[in-house]
Amino acid sequence: METDQKKLPGLPLSAGLLALVVLVLVLVAPSDLAMRKHDFVRKGPGVTEVRMLSDWFPGIKGGRGDTEVYVLDSGKPGGSALVLGGTHANEPAGFLTAIVLVENARPEAGKLFVIPFANASAFTHTDYMEGEPRRFTIEGASGARTFRFGSRATSPADQWPDPDIYIHASSGQKLSGSETRNLNRAYPGRPDGTFTEKVAFAITSLIKAEKVDVSVDLHEASPEYPVINAIVAHERAMKVASIAVLNLEFDGITIGLEPSPQKLRGLSHRELGDATDTFALLMETANPSQGRLRGVTDEALILKGRDPLYLKAKALGRLFVPFDEKGSPVEARVGRHLAGLAAIFSAYTEEKPDRAILFSGLPSYDELQATGLGKLF
Amino acid sequence: MITIIYRLIVALALVLVAVELFTQKSAKLKINAALVLVPLVLRALMIA
Repeated sequence: METDQKKLPGLPLSAGLLALVVLVLVLVAPSDLAMRKHDFVRKGPGVTEVRMLSDWFPGIKGGRGDTEVYVLDSGKPGGSALVLGGTHANEPAGFLTAIVLVENARPEAGKLFVIPFANASAFTHTDYMEGEPRRFTIEGASGARTFRFGSRATSPADQWPDPDIYIHASSGQKLSGSETRNLNRAYPGRPDGTFTEKVAFAITSLIKAEKVDVSVDLHEASPEYPVINAIVAHERAMKVASIAVLNLEFDGITIGLEPSPQKLRGLSHRELGDATDTFALLMETANPSQGRLRGVTDEALILKGRDPLYLKAKALGRLFVPFDEKGSPVEARVGRHLAGLAAIFSAYTEEKPDRAILFSGLPSYDELQATGLGKLF
Repeated sequence: MITIIYRLIVALALVLVAVELFTQKSAKLKINAALVLVPLVLRALMIA
């Protein structure tokens, strides 16, 4: 016995610590694994079919990159559009807008494809050291609805390790290593590439196969980020985007228009426009819960967007958007995205009446501010 | 392929740290080893 204790000093303490490790794992692992379950999305009156992204690229079938594609087909002649939410899972207005579309939109002309969780893997984890909540709840008309708040990037559990430098395959552009897991740096993707590149390739394949006329990638950004409250447009989509921006301004929604930089590669508004015939656009709203200047990061910040530190930053002239005590509530951010989508599709329909994309059943920006987002859920 | 190699490295580190947990005399170092085990197990199993 004495000899054993010499070999294994403090055996009771070691055994106790090991038991503690097992206990922590038993407590932690299930909550991590629960993040892999997709949030509930109700099939709205306009949904005619629910497909999987792997239908367009079987290389992701059954994996955690595969995700639901909701098809809203009017059954009438017209064009087609793709709406991407959840490219970045820490930008809730993007995926909430996509869910609102699926649950409420009624297509009147053409066909709409909606992917609420474009990077499904990014919803399965949060970023280290960010102190973000994993979920947030919206009190909806049909009860409380809980949504995951994820990460900007694919989970390391699905794509690991990161290289020191990420080299974008088709351009040779060099970015920091972690960007290898950013879906919006992976387009047009590769069938034999990384997990993230395969997801990007599947989305590109959908656009090609379905001859999607207009693709809109819904994002959010920190209020201190220069490209914000804006539409970023590929050069072929610039005319449609310009008309949309003017019409939004007439409706009292101030929004910027940015040309897609030709030398910034891998982004949806650049690569989808170059690799396919689609009009590629991206929209940004102001989300303090992902900003670098924020204080406590909780559900209230995600939903209300109020932060005293951002008020201070505004007073110092450090922000690129209006920001006051009202903050940047999720209703305003989703409202901007919905109004932007309606304006883009309307402008496209004006330009190409034989490829009309029209839908109804959604509130205007002002109606949404008055009723709140919960009424749509 | 690279992921498999990295998981093998993690598994090796996991075993070595577990050995440290039982062979270290210092209680502080035992606690350190226990703390390090948690993320190593989660990554070895590709849970997190």
